[in-house]
Amino acid sequence: MLSYLVRRLMWAGVLFVGVTLITYALFFVLPADPARLAAGKSATAEDVARVSHQLGLDRPLHEQYGLFLKRLVVDHSLGRSYTNRRSVNEMVGEAVPVTAALVVGGAILWMMIAIPIGIISALRPRSLIDRGAMIFILIGISAPVVWIGLLLQYFIGFRLGWTPNAGYCDVFNPPEGASCGGPADWTYHLILPWVTFAILFAASYARMIRANVMDTLGEDYVRTARAKGAPENIVIRRHVLRNALLPIVTMLGLDIGVALGGAIFTEAIFNLPGLGRLALNSVLNLDLPTMQGVVVFATLAIILFNVIVDVTYAMIDPRIRLA
Amino acid sequence: MTGRRFLGVMLAVFGVVILSASAAVAAPAAKKGGTIVVEMTTDVDYIDPQLSYYGETWKLEAATACKLLNWPDKEGAPGAIVTPEVAAGLPIISKDGKTYTFTIRSGFTFSNGQAVSARSFVNAFNRFANPKMQSTGVQFIDIVQGAQAVIDGKASTVSGVTAKGNKLVIRLTRASPDLLARMTMPFLQAIDTKLAGQIDANGINEYASCGPYYFSARTPGRSITLKRNPHYKGQRVANPDTIQVNVGNDVAVEFQNVEKGTTDYASGGIPATEWKNVVNKYGLNKKDGRVQVRPLLDVRYVAMNRSRPLFKDNSGLAKAVNWAVDRQAFSAQGGYLYGKRTGQVLPPGMLGYSQQSLYPLKITAGSAKQAKKLAAPNLRDGKAVLWSANAGTAPLQAQLIQYNLKQIGLDADIKLLPRAQQFTNAGNPKTATFDMTIERWGADYADPYDFVNILLDGNQVANSQHNNYAYFNVAKYNQQMNSASLLTGSKRGTAYAALDVAMMKDNPPWAPLVNSNDRNFMSARVSCLTLNMAQGGGPLLNVICLK
Repeated sequence: MLSYLVRRLMWAGVLFVGVTLITYALFFVLPADPARLAAGKSATAEDVARVSHQLGLDRPLHEQYGLFLKRLVVDHSLGRSYTNRRSVNEMVGEAVPVTAALVVGGAILWMMIAIPIGIISALRPRSLIDRGAMIFILIGISAPVVWIGLLLQYFIGFRLGWTPNAGYCDVFNPPEGASCGGPADWTYHLILPWVTFAILFAASYARMIRANVMDTLGEDYVRTARAKGAPENIVIRRHVLRNALLPIVTMLGLDIGVALGGAIFTEAIFNLPGLGRLALNSVLNLDLPTMQGVVVFATLAIILFNVIVDVTYAMIDPRIRLA
Repeated sequence: MTGRRFLGVMLAVFGVVILSASAAVAAPAAKKGGTIVVEMTTDVDYIDPQLSYYGETWKLEAATACKLLNWPDKEGAPGAIVTPEVAAGLPIISKDGKTYTFTIRSGFTFSNGQAVSARSFVNAFNRFANPKMQSTGVQFIDIVQGAQAVIDGKASTVSGVTAKGNKLVIRLTRASPDLLARMTMPFLQAIDTKLAGQIDANGINEYASCGPYYFSARTPGRSITLKRNPHYKGQRVANPDTIQVNVGNDVAVEFQNVEKGTTDYASGGIPATEWKNVVNKYGLNKKDGRVQVRPLLDVRYVAMNRSRPLFKDNSGLAKAVNWAVDRQAFSAQGGYLYGKRTGQVLPPGMLGYSQQSLYPLKITAGSAKQAKKLAAPNLRDGKAVLWSANAGTAPLQAQLIQYNLKQIGLDADIKLLPRAQQFTNAGNPKTATFDMTIERWGADYADPYDFVNILLDGNQVANSQHNNYAYFNVAKYNQQMNSASLLTGSKRGTAYAALDVAMMKDNPPWAPLVNSNDRNFMSARVSCLTLNMAQGGGPLLNVICLK
């Protein structure tokens, strides 16, 4: 078990170096100069050279990457933003709770939508409810998150005024001048982002739950339970759902990583100061340290999730350790 | 010029008159108090006075800073005259034009209670030039004696700026007619002794200011709060108690919030398609009306690259392009009241601007025929690479230009680029692989030098970074530009006016298209609107008040 764990962690390290190195390389392939941007439009060649030196952009790629790794490992620092020279650790630290709130809240919501729809559709296949659910699934999977978000924002947030159309409120310690704060405002401002974020996943999960439940309903042990005279609700709850939902829970763990990527759209539409918006702004501003900070965090989060899943699997199933 | 670094701040040279789209609006009786809510689509870079270099930040600093010279809080021409603020009067200038002596007025106080003195300005120069601050705007003071030595790390104080009692002396390396305008830049506002000692390239977010307001809080990426300076005794107006700036919503949300009244001013603008609706609904430029539009000192144009075979020594084709482009349709893509069509380098309101009818501002059968006639013998291989930004209305505008060029037999291949990449590559001779690029230039300060010399002086085209995207390098014009830059007053204006006409008529480096407007949409609850283009456009935040 220990050697398996060491092997997994080593691979995680390789993956980490690979991802961050690719981000660095891609940044340098871009035919644009952040020093020129930072120097302003009236800057002379000398001004650009000076800013380039100040930002460390005049060093070779491998040297810059080496410095980045050293800073990360030794000083635990992600550096400072090119755009506003703020500490990237600080910026990522401020953004993580926002994205976590969106992703976790969204995940809870999509499971709350997907589980009943999936089960009811599976138990009453080709019924009116099933067909209605299939229409929802089709729309949810086909419609882009951006489109759904903008529609909800315009009609629910602006026209009807039922919820705020954008913005974020802190649960604790709202900044000076903030127009809102506290748990109630926090929830109120996240309703539309959660719904937007959850629709795509809810649709695909509902489809998967429906398929799993239908498959499980045809299993021998379900037939046996019914033959033994077990009440239908017991059969569904104990024999069908337990088995049908297990793979869904595993999938949920893996999808959280994917969801981090999806958060970019939701955060951009609703002006949530999370990792997605931070990533988007850093790309638009050619702000490599911030971009790299988000990539490092997302990579570590995904690696961590994967390692946990792998180790858990290995503990449950000894065949995986031997493979 | 750029989305990210577009300063949007205009520093008019003494005597320049900015024409307003409407007559100056007399300020109503000010109603003090309350909170004005402003929205910005993107955050500012810094609020540190020696680092901030965004037009949006400078709009805020217009309310917080006190400067030697400043723009009056007025509309139109009266607001475009450099006026003494902390200086007791205009400076005494030596005969050689290299030494300026200012007398400092007493009574100005920072928000922490410290008095403003001549030393406060010396400190600003020293902090600005300090290489540890890594300020990106230091090129604006390279004409001051000793500034370059500090910038290069060879000295610790700018030797050319000295204070003695209430006298401040600034010595220059060469005469510079636009020094007074440069002194209005927020970089050179008075700073207190505490900030003077805070040398931090990451910027300071809390500091005392000597203008009507000070920055009381900033949460980067989210909000900025300005509060009234309790010690302010100057002449400037300070109507709201608090100016609250919220950051990050896109223009569609800003529009919705201003409509709802939860925001008072959409500083980032509103969607292009909404301008016509809001004008129909609320009227245009009514006294304290919700839609206020003023002309900006800027120009949008197609630069024709003279370093590439298609346009090299090919003024005939350059003229044909000027006859072919549909300025009316180009402007329409930006929405209602996008701007005024133009065929000239200098924008209206700029010193030296004189309206000419050099090229058609509307396509007619006659102009189309003339365009074809001029193009026919000069098409060369008939192929061109056209660069454009890839966001907003830019791709549509590029397609329109492509269509116009097709009509004269020029087959243009559009290449869409992120805006930052577009101008970065266009200004570098090694990466400028375009024949035409659609550009925009907004004035750093309202002097023709900032348009003609900065954008068309051929002496810079070999530099690794420059703004002469047409790679226009004609010895005769280079010399005339240099001569014009040394003139003052009306002679300066006349010289630049002649240059504008001569270049555009005989050898056009660009096809100028539109001079943009500053379009502003306000909530129903505000009044006391005063728009000053010299301070970067938009309503002056210290003047605006609640109804």
